[in-house]
Amino acid sequence: MSESTSSPVAAVLNRLILLAMLAVLAAILTAAMVMQYALGEIPCPLCLLQRVAMFGCAFGLIEQLRAGNSERGGGIALIFSVLLLVISVRQTLLDIYPRPGHDYIGSAVFGLHLPVWSVIIAVALLLGLAVRLALFGSAQNATIAGRTPPRGIVQPLAIYVAAICAINFFSVIAQCGLGQCHTFGYWLLQ
Amino acid sequence: MMAAVFATMLLAFVFDLAGLRRLAVSSLLLSLALCIGLFLWEVYSPDYGFRMPWLQL
Repeated sequence: MSESTSSPVAAVLNRLILLAMLAVLAAILTAAMVMQYALGEIPCPLCLLQRVAMFGCAFGLIEQLRAGNSERGGGIALIFSVLLLVISVRQTLLDIYPRPGHDYIGSAVFGLHLPVWSVIIAVALLLGLAVRLALFGSAQNATIAGRTPPRGIVQPLAIYVAAICAINFFSVIAQCGLGQCHTFGYWLLQ
Repeated sequence: MMAAVFATMLLAFVFDLAGLRRLAVSSLLLSLALCIGLFLWEVYSPDYGFRMPWLQL
């Protein structure tokens, strides 16, 4: 196993998997923001916490892409993936049985509501991280990985994720202020 | 509280981009702790606690 993981091809594949996961996460967070600002779907508190978990996962993936001899970034991504799974499953279970005042918030995408998509995303992230570890092992090939392409994509993606995190922060201030979050309007506009 | 969660997460990214890795990870862990605390507060019900009696397993 160690022979295969130390090959340059394995190192490139390892990084490509991480990069693909990061790009997909950035796209999902962007889509959530488009639904919020373009379609007027104000996120619920648990929806916002799911975004936080995705940002944490993205942070871990960025750390892992920059890693030298550490698997710390992968560990961080795993922790936040589990957090995303717990929050999204709980929200799905809260809304899955129709009760007064408990409906899914927002519209369905391809027939599934967003908390259900979050469950799928969390499982996909956990699977992706597990497959990466199963195929390529730990950070023994990190010295090769540090020199492999695509090096130039990581920093722009990291800046982009930080930028959408900043937009989300100001959006939360506008929606919730410093208090409790609600879905019936923006606190700043009232 | 939600603002604090996002503020600490944003700080983690800013510290990371500035090359301050330890501060970044510390800020991220603080965000994680706040996020878990807020999640537990959000799902707790005075009537049901953490239970979900509408679900029968």
